[in-house]
Amino acid sequence: MENGIPDSQNPKPKPRPIVRIGIFIISHNLFFSVICCIGGILALFLLPLMAKNTYISENALMPGSANPMFSRYDTMEANKLVKDIMSMSLKPEETGIEIARLLAQRMEESGVEVYHHKFHEKISQFRPLHFFSDTTYTGLLLQNTSAIHGINTVGIIRAPRGDGKEAIVFVTPYNSTKIELSEALSIGLAYSVFSLLGRVTWLSKDIVWLAADSRYGEYTSVSAWLRDYHTPVFNGPESKENPTTGAGNTDFFRRAGTMAAALVIKVVEKHGETEKDTLSIYAEASNGQMPNLDLINTVHYLAVHTQGLRVKVEKVYTLLNLAWLQVMGQILESVSKVAKSLNSQWKFGMPAAEYVDGTATLASSLYYQALGVPTGSHGAFRDYQVDAVTLEISPRSFLNNEGRRTEFLLRGGRLMESVVRSVNNLLEKFHQSFFLYLMTSPSKFVSVGVYMIAFLLLLVPLPIAAAALYSGANNLGSNLTKDNQVPAFASTAKPGVQKSWRWLHAAKVVFIIHLWATIVSLLPSLINHIPEMTPTNNMFIWASSSIFILLILYSMLGSPYSHPTTSGCQNSEWATLKSVMIAVASIGLGLMSIINYATAQIGAIILVPMCLLVHPLKLTGRSGNSKAFLLVACNLVVAVIGFPPAGLAVIKGWSEGFGAVNVGDFWIWAESLWAWNSATYLYVVLIHFPCWVLCMNILLHPC
Amino acid sequence: MASNKANLELWQSEFICLFGRKMSLLILLVALVVAATTGKSNAISSASFSSSSTMHTNNWAVLVCTSRFWFNYRHMANTLSLYRTVKRLGIPDERIILMLADDMACNTRNNYPAQVFNNENHRLNLYGDNVEVDYRGYEVTVENFLRVLTGRHETAVPRSKRLLSDEGSHILLYMTGHGGDEFLKFQDSEELQSHDLADAVKQMKEKLRFKELLIMVDTCQAATLFNQLHSPGVLAIGSSMKGENSYSHHLDSDIGVSVVDRFTYYTLAFFERLNTYSNASMSSFFNSFVPSLLLSTAYYRTDLYQRPPDEVPVTNFFGSVMETIHTDSSYKGFSSKRTSSAKIEMPLDQADETERRTLTSTTAETHRTETNVEAEENHIFHFISSIWNNKVERIEKIDAVVNYGLVAMLPLAALSTWILC
Repeated sequence: MENGIPDSQNPKPKPRPIVRIGIFIISHNLFFSVICCIGGILALFLLPLMAKNTYISENALMPGSANPMFSRYDTMEANKLVKDIMSMSLKPEETGIEIARLLAQRMEESGVEVYHHKFHEKISQFRPLHFFSDTTYTGLLLQNTSAIHGINTVGIIRAPRGDGKEAIVFVTPYNSTKIELSEALSIGLAYSVFSLLGRVTWLSKDIVWLAADSRYGEYTSVSAWLRDYHTPVFNGPESKENPTTGAGNTDFFRRAGTMAAALVIKVVEKHGETEKDTLSIYAEASNGQMPNLDLINTVHYLAVHTQGLRVKVEKVYTLLNLAWLQVMGQILESVSKVAKSLNSQWKFGMPAAEYVDGTATLASSLYYQALGVPTGSHGAFRDYQVDAVTLEISPRSFLNNEGRRTEFLLRGGRLMESVVRSVNNLLEKFHQSFFLYLMTSPSKFVSVGVYMIAFLLLLVPLPIAAAALYSGANNLGSNLTKDNQVPAFASTAKPGVQKSWRWLHAAKVVFIIHLWATIVSLLPSLINHIPEMTPTNNMFIWASSSIFILLILYSMLGSPYSHPTTSGCQNSEWATLKSVMIAVASIGLGLMSIINYATAQIGAIILVPMCLLVHPLKLTGRSGNSKAFLLVACNLVVAVIGFPPAGLAVIKGWSEGFGAVNVGDFWIWAESLWAWNSATYLYVVLIHFPCWVLCMNILLHPC
Repeated sequence: MASNKANLELWQSEFICLFGRKMSLLILLVALVVAATTGKSNAISSASFSSSSTMHTNNWAVLVCTSRFWFNYRHMANTLSLYRTVKRLGIPDERIILMLADDMACNTRNNYPAQVFNNENHRLNLYGDNVEVDYRGYEVTVENFLRVLTGRHETAVPRSKRLLSDEGSHILLYMTGHGGDEFLKFQDSEELQSHDLADAVKQMKEKLRFKELLIMVDTCQAATLFNQLHSPGVLAIGSSMKGENSYSHHLDSDIGVSVVDRFTYYTLAFFERLNTYSNASMSSFFNSFVPSLLLSTAYYRTDLYQRPPDEVPVTNFFGSVMETIHTDSSYKGFSSKRTSSAKIEMPLDQADETERRTLTSTTAETHRTETNVEAEENHIFHFISSIWNNKVERIEKIDAVVNYGLVAMLPLAALSTWILC
């Protein structure tokens, strides 16, 4: 930069170093953009290497310090209940109510409070006004109606010497209309642990067991119960009853304290797993929210070190067989070996197989967080800031094998009891460990401070490119191309006020497109009301009405190409438009990273190259060399992938075969997103989609 | 000066004896009161001489558990174990200031309600009816701790919560909790720094609140807490050096927590073998800590302490064994000459041992059989009666002298009245 300002004509002082650095970066924006983008994607692939081992952060937890009291006697209890339930399911009529009654009877026999909670199926509907907030659900008030409802059975153990301010919740979902052996086993397991906990003397938190009727889905029943639990009703029918003498009345809704943690227990029969019983942990709640890492750590520690279970978390199995990923793992392994030989202090390497495994787990972790849809009924708890996980236990042998089953129940019961005892030791809410993390294996995690690097590296080129384009565009427009090394200074030179305000037109275009995207995002709530529609038809209506509205908006507010420009300024117009678009995109991505990091990360991988590469086809077409051809090809590929329905189709085709791809897929996908109140829908429609449309505008710019 | 003072004190002691027996000697009594007041003022004016010259008068213990919450169960168990030990070795409850968060015995997580154990065999319940906690729960603060040490209490604080030690007191200060480099955490909300401790000790020294002080700390990096101490008469022992952790000894898998720390565990193991008559020395106590068992290096600081630790019995701090002096002839009181004489070496001095045994063992017997308050009274009673026995003869002689004097005064009075009339 030293030669940027000649000494002879320098009456004003040298700009400050930070300004000079800024100018330097902007003038070399292409170089920096490429470096940062590559760095960002590389950093994402290095995350498995940077993962740390999990550790119990909260001192109070002390997992495994007490010996579990769960014994073979308790497994007999469990087995007995399982047999009763299974014999009941052989009778065809009214199993739902029968099981609920049986459970209530058993719980009452062991001397705990019990009640039935009735709820209705939740109709998934897109309500834009209640996007992040659930509508109030009045399951309590629906008791008198005769419509079909599910029945949850809830038991509460009051801690004998506790203050009743906190509670630990178990959930065992079962399908009351058609119960399976595995579900019966999970109920039996929970019951045996529950009755044991009714006898112990060390409880400081109440224990709540929710046997959730999952005839309308696991999530619905749990969330309905939670909503009623957290919504006090003062004028319901039960207010006429005496709340203090509610004993024996199994319809009286009872509550315990604030929930400290919740465990969803499921027994699943999985074959192919051999030597050990397996525990799968599911933790992702809506919008990528995770329970506190300490809860997962506690479960993992107890499962592995005291019960000898094999712990798994979800992974993308297709990634395990990818050749290039394995090659990358081997390269990293050899690099780390070289580094270790140079300095024995550098220990960042891991075996290639472990790296591939870590990447697959990380990808799954990213995917489920980005999707914003909970991976199980534990997600309902997260809406009330309760830390919850689903524990899916699967035995190594068949469930019918009675001898093995006792062993399996013993393990599961001891695990549950130990987790409860550990959580029972807590003095405060889970707060000590991380809430923002990605798992790379059951015992390894990447914390927010590390994974943000990958995202920020991707995001940084956007403001730089926007600044460079804006200053470059002004230069072009004012024909001051020869003093190109200090573009920012030249921008406000002589062409007058009109030139410097040219971005207003670009901003108007960007605004129109974003306004349109907002309308498009709200359209499904109207389309939903049209009866008897297939997803494909819905999709067509959505698309055509969107285009129609866009045309109306153009006719009202002017199309992006109808700017009354002076001749010669056309060249820079697309650049100004691009710079404004990039600026808005970077703001959108930044905001999204706060709401849901994983969505922003995956979105940035597509959006950033699309925004940076986009170049009018006409301009590149004029210079017909190979470089231009490459640019055009890249533009077209990114433009296709960047279009959300097309991108979804590509992913679906890749994973399931292109024969399965349907036009209605996107509608179904979007419907599931808004049903779960996922912010990913907002991101796709409000940030990604308008950016793509603007990119198309630029691509087809008549300059 | 010294002989004069000795004489005065002799008079004083005789006054005590006479007061107990003869009320008729009123004239003499007036004279003695005058003598006593002058003696007292004398003693006060000469109070600033070094503590080594004062006699060991009593034993105090300040036992502090600085942590709370269920997972710190072991700290409370440590403190209660020490409490039990010093009580067993003869320090009465009224001279023990016990500071505990006291949230373990009745914790809802405790599956042995109202009991606290320091061993997984559950043989010994440390918590019972006779545990007197002076500062409980949120009262255990740095402020209260420093107030106890320095004696700067608000007027409403009862005597039972005060450290009423004097210039002849031996004080055991035991602290356990979570510490670090030159600090000790108090209940997760405050910190006591090594400077604070050193300052408090210095103030105590200035205010003649102790003769000898043993500071015993079981925390991580305990040794750093003693860095700033420079008051004479202070012995310090910590569980670990700088940069070391102090570990718990074992986990009770029934209660689900660690129940005792290593340093305290081995301290207790050392004291379990002892009773009130034991003459195990401080240095043998210091040497009982094996770093491989402790998993840390016990640190002791003796440079501020005048006496060689191998000549000081542990009961000097952990028990309440007074240095009693057997005199064949007249009782010479707490004279400075006597205490600084060779008799200080009494625990190792085998020649004197047999005679002294008889006295100490009687006190020990009372400690065992009776409650501690009574024991203390008995102790004083024994002390007085031993003096009494020595003095009986002399007192009878004095009686004779006084009687003759009174008889002689009668004619004098008669003569003077006759002249005046």
